[in-house]
Amino acid sequence: MWSELRNLREGVDLGTPPRDGAAVSLTVDGKPVTAPAGSSVMVAAALARCPVPKLCATDTLEAFGSCRMCLVEIQGRKGFPAACTTLVEPGMVVTTQTARLQELRKGVLELYLSDFPAGDVPGGWSELHETMQQTGVTTHPYVAGENHLQAAVDASNPYFLFDPTKCIVCSRCVRACEDIQGTFALTIEGRGFQSKVVASQGECFLDSECVSCGACVQACPTHSLVEKSLFEGGEYRAQSPQA
Amino acid sequence: MPNPRKPDGSVVTTCAYCGVGCGFKAETIRGEIVRMIPWKEGKANHGHACVKGRFAFDYWRHADRVKKPLIRASIAEPWREVTWDHAITHAAAELKRIQAKHGRGSAGAVSSSRCTNEEIYLMQKFARVALRNNNIDNCSRICHSPTQFGLSATLGAGAACQHFDSILQADVILVVGANPTEGHPVFGSLLKRRVRQGASLLVIDPRRTETAESAHCRADVHLALRPGTNVAVLDSLAHVIVTENLHAAKFIAERCHPAEFEQWRALVGDPRYAPEVVGPEAGVDPAEIRRAARIYASGPNSTIYYGLGVTEHSQGSTGVMCLGNLALSCGMLGREGVGVNPLRGQGNVQGGSCLGSWPHMFTGYRFVTDAAVRATFEQDWKLELDPEPGLRLPNMFDAAVAGTFKAIYIQGEDPVQSDPNQNHIVAAMKAMECVIVQDLFLNETAKYAHVFLPGSSSLEKNGTFTNAERRVSMVRKVVPPLAGLEDWEITVRLTNAMGYPLHYDHPAQILDEIARLSPAYQGMSFALIERCGSVQWPCNPQAPEGTEVLHTKTFPRGKANFMLTGYVPTSERTDERFPLLLTTGRILSQYNVGTQTRRTGNVAWYGEDVLDVHRTDADARGIQDGDFVTVTSRYGETRLRARISDKVNPGVVYTTFHFAQSNANAVTSDLNDWATNCPEYKVTAVELVKVPTGKPASSRTPASVRA
Amino acid sequence: MSGRAAKSGDAVIHLDVLITMANQIGDFFTPYPPGQREEGVRNHLRHYWDPRMRDALLAHVDATGGTGLHAHVLAAAKLLREPGAAKTGYPGPPKA
Repeated sequence: MWSELRNLREGVDLGTPPRDGAAVSLTVDGKPVTAPAGSSVMVAAALARCPVPKLCATDTLEAFGSCRMCLVEIQGRKGFPAACTTLVEPGMVVTTQTARLQELRKGVLELYLSDFPAGDVPGGWSELHETMQQTGVTTHPYVAGENHLQAAVDASNPYFLFDPTKCIVCSRCVRACEDIQGTFALTIEGRGFQSKVVASQGECFLDSECVSCGACVQACPTHSLVEKSLFEGGEYRAQSPQA
Repeated sequence: MPNPRKPDGSVVTTCAYCGVGCGFKAETIRGEIVRMIPWKEGKANHGHACVKGRFAFDYWRHADRVKKPLIRASIAEPWREVTWDHAITHAAAELKRIQAKHGRGSAGAVSSSRCTNEEIYLMQKFARVALRNNNIDNCSRICHSPTQFGLSATLGAGAACQHFDSILQADVILVVGANPTEGHPVFGSLLKRRVRQGASLLVIDPRRTETAESAHCRADVHLALRPGTNVAVLDSLAHVIVTENLHAAKFIAERCHPAEFEQWRALVGDPRYAPEVVGPEAGVDPAEIRRAARIYASGPNSTIYYGLGVTEHSQGSTGVMCLGNLALSCGMLGREGVGVNPLRGQGNVQGGSCLGSWPHMFTGYRFVTDAAVRATFEQDWKLELDPEPGLRLPNMFDAAVAGTFKAIYIQGEDPVQSDPNQNHIVAAMKAMECVIVQDLFLNETAKYAHVFLPGSSSLEKNGTFTNAERRVSMVRKVVPPLAGLEDWEITVRLTNAMGYPLHYDHPAQILDEIARLSPAYQGMSFALIERCGSVQWPCNPQAPEGTEVLHTKTFPRGKANFMLTGYVPTSERTDERFPLLLTTGRILSQYNVGTQTRRTGNVAWYGEDVLDVHRTDADARGIQDGDFVTVTSRYGETRLRARISDKVNPGVVYTTFHFAQSNANAVTSDLNDWATNCPEYKVTAVELVKVPTGKPASSRTPASVRA
Repeated sequence: MSGRAAKSGDAVIHLDVLITMANQIGDFFTPYPPGQREEGVRNHLRHYWDPRMRDALLAHVDATGGTGLHAHVLAAAKLLREPGAAKTGYPGPPKA
């Protein structure tokens, strides 16, 4: 856990935690790069300045591999491994950009966008919006189908709210509550399309075990969990009660 | 829902709440603070935070903030708003008048652990150059002063041995009298991480705290001892270690004095400290004492974290020495994953300790009575200094009641709420002629003040804080001070008005002066801290970027010392009139006396202090969950709402001290630590009586209260 | 604890409090060998007590022979007046 905490850098998100093993040499998009043993290919790509698009990965949490955005091609391996869960090996040759990879990423993002409030696509600045820009995908071709766009906002906590309509079930919040905070207040309830983030046994945040540390808010890539104080006007501005 | 607004500005600063001292980025939109997010490069928190620092920062612009200086001739009159010049001139005139009439020793000052290092330094300088005495104290008097005494006596340095990350290399974690998941949450999370990785956890605490026993964190051994029996139990652990030959002979031979070890071994090896004798007295299973001792001694890396459950006792300093002795006996010092580490409560209480805000010490824990040290200050400050120790805060109150102490300048503290034996303190305040309070809000102490100087929050000034790891970090101004002056500027003006010329363009110059006059801070400067992010003292030519782990090669005095820690039971005893023991603690969402957090959304979780009572004790008194009860001790009484809890043992009740109206300190005793006068908050004999249903009256003092 | 002030007039703290505090310090040093016991108490009083508190204690010793003080605490108080007892600049724990 040493380098995983001490080598974090502000303004830099390598995607998976920094390690401090022996240097491993590999090639990413033709560029030679070294990364400590135990690093993911995602980290190596970031160090080589060929960052791979990501959603469920962040370097304060161990890799999870659920969003399928970070797929890459590795010489000598079949299919399209996820860069976050694949560890670097000496002599590895990685390609982060091909027509096929772009197709796959576009497919994934379009599916996410089909269940995301369309009005919040322009003007947003979350990691999801950055990933959309990075891949050049901001629209989807689907007609309106089953979705979660009617889900109610949980504004019970005095300081932050949870808007499930923007949630992509990347589980970063769940993982943050477990690994970083250690409270285990959040979980994913249901399976497949029914999956959703819940606090405790499906209570609102304020009634749950949540201790309001904000780690989930910090981890959320879509502003689904977000500080009330970032909204203009009465309803979401934190009200400080009179002493 | 619309998209959230994007901040356009960001300032890295340090949280002002607890002793973890998390690094934060204060984000702004057109200059207005909109959120605090954890700083990934904060070495104390690595991008994590807790509800207080992360969200409860709005108190800084609460409507109760005082924005203009206030004065009044007597506390019976209403406050008058005046200009800064008027208030400062008036305060200085009063102080001079009182010293002329009642003697130099009749005035004193108290610095704040919520203020910066630079401000604390200026407060002790004010006492010494303006008041010309050593009547200066700080709030760690009432919490960790035994740490400074006890760890200095054993290890030579009264501060944490390790940095927080060090726990990641610990195999055994011993937590004594502390509840990190509530009091130091970000460190608590790190501790839980390490326990999930497989480290053993030993907890010594009267309560089944979240650290000791919860779904995701469980101690291997939990000694739920009776409040007041710390030293007996710790000596009993030592007894097992020496009688079963578990001690680290080589370490002791090389780094301690063998003759002292023998003296200590004879003391703790005495049958009176055997687990079979101590266990029944402390209410603990002797086999568990043996198990804990063996686990600690075998390590390989065993670390100790402790809190006010050790220090706030009549044997507080002795308890700390026991911990030092334990670590020495097993060689658990001088590398990663070991050490003895106090969990400092407030954001800058370590700073208060380091910077000479003591009646008997200058910066760097050096004695006022040491002529050579005094001379360095006399040379730099250009005047002769009082060579005798001054009054400690509790003694200032005693002297006020006795009629010989008449004026006090209190910065950022609320002794009327936070200090024990409240009736005594109120009597002391009323007996004084000039009480100057510098704070953000009109607090309980301000009710007895004659001058109120509106201070600045940590978001409104520049300076540094020192956290529980000895880590000095930047506090950066995000918004201008609401009342117009930063706290340090007020003290400078008052010092000038008292006739001592003082001038600084910027707090960086104050830190430079501290560096000149304090060996541990020798290499510190704003420039260094900016470059490194933060610097742990000692910082000197041998360690130009600071020191993470202490005592790696030698101890400050060369070798360390075993101290003889005989168990002396407190004179606070239960009897038929007061058969229960009250102990106190903290809760996550509220901070200390709640001055700040009560004025934020955190009241959603915890709107009042509650009294935890075991079901057996409640049933015997007809008390049900939610009933109000009168809590009476030999010193006073108060009303609290009862909560039936299995987290306390029968015979023990527990409450927190975050709300003024619960008046927990009306009840606590005037007993205190033999060495430092740290109050014995943790042991008070009480009785509970259910309040008949109807409105609970406010607390009052029984007729026979001690003066 | 009754509120009797020290006879020296300028009372900083009530005498009873001083005696209790001094005895508490004495209790800590009881396990130490004779000689070290008194040295420990004497050093603590010298470096941690305001001089008026020490003066009040000594005034009590002069007036009453030290009623209420434990034997080794009384001996330590008397050491305060002996210049030879001052170990230069060393207020730390008594050496074994």
